[in-house]
Amino acid sequence: MNAAPGAFAHPVTIALLAATIGLLLFAAAIIGVLSVTGRASPALRRELWLRLASWAVLLPLIIIPILAGRVWTIAAVTLLGLLCLREYDRATGLFREHLLTGVVALGILAVNFAALDHWYGFFVALWPLTVGLIAVASIPQDRPEGYIQRTALAIFAYMLFGAGLAHLGYMANDPGYRPWLLLLVLAVGLNDVAAFTSGKLIGGPKLLPATSPNKTIAGALGALTCTTAVVAFIGSFIFAGTPMDSLPLLILLGALVSIAGQCGDLMLSSIKRDLGIKDMGAVIPGHGGILDRFNSLLLVAPATFHLIHYAIGIGEGQPTRLLTGSP
Amino acid sequence: MTWQFRPSRDLGLTTAERLRSHGREAGLGSTLLHAAWRGLVRAEMALLHRLEVSGRHNLPARPPYLLVANHSSHLDALACTAALRGDAARRAHCLAAGDTFFASNATAMFAAYAVNALPVWRKRSRPKDLATLRARLVEDRLVFILFPEGTRSRDGQMGAFMPGLGALVAGGEVPVVPCWLEGAFAAWPATRRLPRPGKLRLRIGAPLQFPEATDDRAGWTMVATRCEAAVRGLGEGLP
Repeated sequence: MNAAPGAFAHPVTIALLAATIGLLLFAAAIIGVLSVTGRASPALRRELWLRLASWAVLLPLIIIPILAGRVWTIAAVTLLGLLCLREYDRATGLFREHLLTGVVALGILAVNFAALDHWYGFFVALWPLTVGLIAVASIPQDRPEGYIQRTALAIFAYMLFGAGLAHLGYMANDPGYRPWLLLLVLAVGLNDVAAFTSGKLIGGPKLLPATSPNKTIAGALGALTCTTAVVAFIGSFIFAGTPMDSLPLLILLGALVSIAGQCGDLMLSSIKRDLGIKDMGAVIPGHGGILDRFNSLLLVAPATFHLIHYAIGIGEGQPTRLLTGSP
Repeated sequence: MTWQFRPSRDLGLTTAERLRSHGREAGLGSTLLHAAWRGLVRAEMALLHRLEVSGRHNLPARPPYLLVANHSSHLDALACTAALRGDAARRAHCLAAGDTFFASNATAMFAAYAVNALPVWRKRSRPKDLATLRARLVEDRLVFILFPEGTRSRDGQMGAFMPGLGALVAGGEVPVVPCWLEGAFAAWPATRRLPRPGKLRLRIGAPLQFPEATDDRAGWTMVATRCEAAVRGLGEGLP
């Protein structure tokens, strides 16, 4: 069986891959020049190489499942959700509540199963059902002290890494998902880089100094402009001939990616500040934890899903309930 | 209402560091692996060694406490693990020689994810490590299984207890439960690669407490001496 029928069917897919590889090589060249000319301190050079090497490992891990097909994409999103949960529960202390962590993990598995099954009704129903289960799960333990805290932490986790993130995998039910998804994950990365770069180049007043001392207003606006423009431009090729192919909708899509991406970043910063920790983990050298890298994707997934779903539908006309079958 | 949650003690460590960290705390995944391992150990103890445990009523009702025993075999830790039940079993950590069980990442993964062991570095145990273990014992309400002789007996005779044991309990309320293991040396001595079937008996004695012991070398030695005597006393009672 051909593992990836039509993986490269859309020209935008190829263009995005080429651009990604080009950017990695370009970054390597710049760091190489900095190293050879001795313009950067050894510590900074090492840090830059480490970050680049991590990207060179991460990007294939993100891109290959998307190209490989629907099942691989949903499997990768499931794994990402579980890894994010692990990191989050260890950082917040929720991991000591085995029962609730287990319910959230089951919820993540169930919502991704609904995506795999292409069963939108169940996919949507799992939000109130899982939240309800989380709310009652620890009651039989007869430990009312800390009930609100553990329940709230667990619901927050399910919202972010289950219900929210699973939208990313659900998009793979549409035959044309590859260029969209690639655009989304790459644009989220670009958004981070644009915010960092324009913030450094322009400087100026801080955005929210108590939450994230390094972010500036200029960085936020620079990222908004850059990401919106890039997403709208590339989106016009991807969505050509569909109702999404209108300038206001494309700009809205781009702005959503940028704003939801930055909000996700600030949300994780707020969590970390509140806990008094710097990074969520140490899994990715140069980046910190998995959540430090993927925070921006958490809110982008549901926000863009529902815009595209509203405008053109996702997986319309495709067979549904692939695994459970129709009743 | 106060905020009750705090990050894990091992937050921010790389995987290799975390495996060897005294602050390693189990999440859901590790807890399930530990439970599976304990199931295997109990089955092995029942089938191959017909483990017979007496004096279980001497175990404190709830952690924290220390389980100390004579040491002549790798089976010792397994027998002590198999003797615990419920909450105490879930909270039990074997203190294992770092240079044997945590030297490579593969053995460290086994020690951490299956056995739930914490490393003790012979000859280079730092005061800070002992302080961390002592703090965790009380704050996280753990059970430590340890063999204060420091190494497996090569002739089956029990050796002297090292004073490091005292650093965990001297001047505190945490009880030490002395245990005597019979049969482990015959089944799996240090000279054999693999164990052979053979009857094991574990006798659990009355717990000792050392609130009056001073938290210094003299106090630690006193704790070690009294624990050693208690373990020997249990051994003498056996046929």
